[in-house]
Amino acid sequence: MSIINYANKEIQFKIVYYGPALCGKTTNLSYIHSQVAPENKGDLVSLATAADRTLFFDFLPLNAVVIKGFKTKFQLYTVPGQVIYNITRQLVLRSVDGIVFVADSQWEKMEENIESFKNLEENLTKQNLSLDTVPYVLQYNKRDMPHVAPINYMEYVLNNRKVRVQSFESVASTGQNVFSTLNAISRLLLYKFTKESDLANKRSKTTVLMSTVR
Amino acid sequence: METIPFLTKEDVAALDSLLMHYLEKTSGTLTLVIDKGGTIIAQQGEIESIDIVIVSALAAGSFAATKELARRIGENEFSALYHQGVDRHIFMAALDEHTVIVTVFGDRTTIGLVRLFTVNVAAQLRTLLNQLRQRDGLEPKLVLEEDLPVVGENIFG
Repeated sequence: MSIINYANKEIQFKIVYYGPALCGKTTNLSYIHSQVAPENKGDLVSLATAADRTLFFDFLPLNAVVIKGFKTKFQLYTVPGQVIYNITRQLVLRSVDGIVFVADSQWEKMEENIESFKNLEENLTKQNLSLDTVPYVLQYNKRDMPHVAPINYMEYVLNNRKVRVQSFESVASTGQNVFSTLNAISRLLLYKFTKESDLANKRSKTTVLMSTVR
Repeated sequence: METIPFLTKEDVAALDSLLMHYLEKTSGTLTLVIDKGGTIIAQQGEIESIDIVIVSALAAGSFAATKELARRIGENEFSALYHQGVDRHIFMAALDEHTVIVTVFGDRTTIGLVRLFTVNVAAQLRTLLNQLRQRDGLEPKLVLEEDLPVVGENIFG
């Protein structure tokens, strides 16, 4: 979970990219890594098989905005999508602050998307967490492929909880909406964080301190 | 409570003091206290030459991955792990259910010595971390909603 270090003036958040096998989770992180300025990113670490399938996780640390002199650090993880690696997914979800659920837009992948989403809910429950409290956004990836399901259908099958969340049509391989997705989940986390630490001076007017990371 | 929501300057000083002392005794290169999700709680030693964020994520992953292995042989979890290299080695030990101490060391010391002093510092760290978890209340307000980038402004990109 997020931790504020008042000595180092840092806040750390953990974001997990979740979704079925080959939906584009690693591609999201690769694109982000390729676009962020070197001083604001660490190495992209991939624990993958020889065939470039995620075996354990991918990991990318990022520095983001400075708020009131505090550096915010986002640690992006992916989980292995293949069904057999469920224990690994549970391990990576540990201490998660926010989730990006990446769905594959192709018709033939719809069942896998639904299974993976259910699996996410089950794995969160095992950690006494739920999508009611953990911020998340949806990304409908591979919109450039032939035979993709219409967005309203994807919304119907995946964005059908009591509270609907933000969703993005993306092509992670070209970067389309990769940063929109990342910005949305980062904003949700910062927003939740402010709500939770909002004790006093709620109405104080302050200046937004932004650091540009690209 | 699993998480330590915040660390004050005094908390960090107390953790640093314990770790500094521990590192001196063990002649280790670097030591980290991390939670099992990979978040760094405290660090001491050669943090300039080693990417501690990545080491923390991988150490937490490595520790977690062996849990299933432990279960298969009838253990709940391995309490300590040791990876031996040629010039540098890494020792990890569970402090409690939620946190791990990671120590990188070279040929100036031995695994026996590291283990010995880890047992000592672990007890002290456990006590301190428990106090931090059970602390009530929040620090004075850090971030206001108004501080966030307004809608339309990006955090990244």
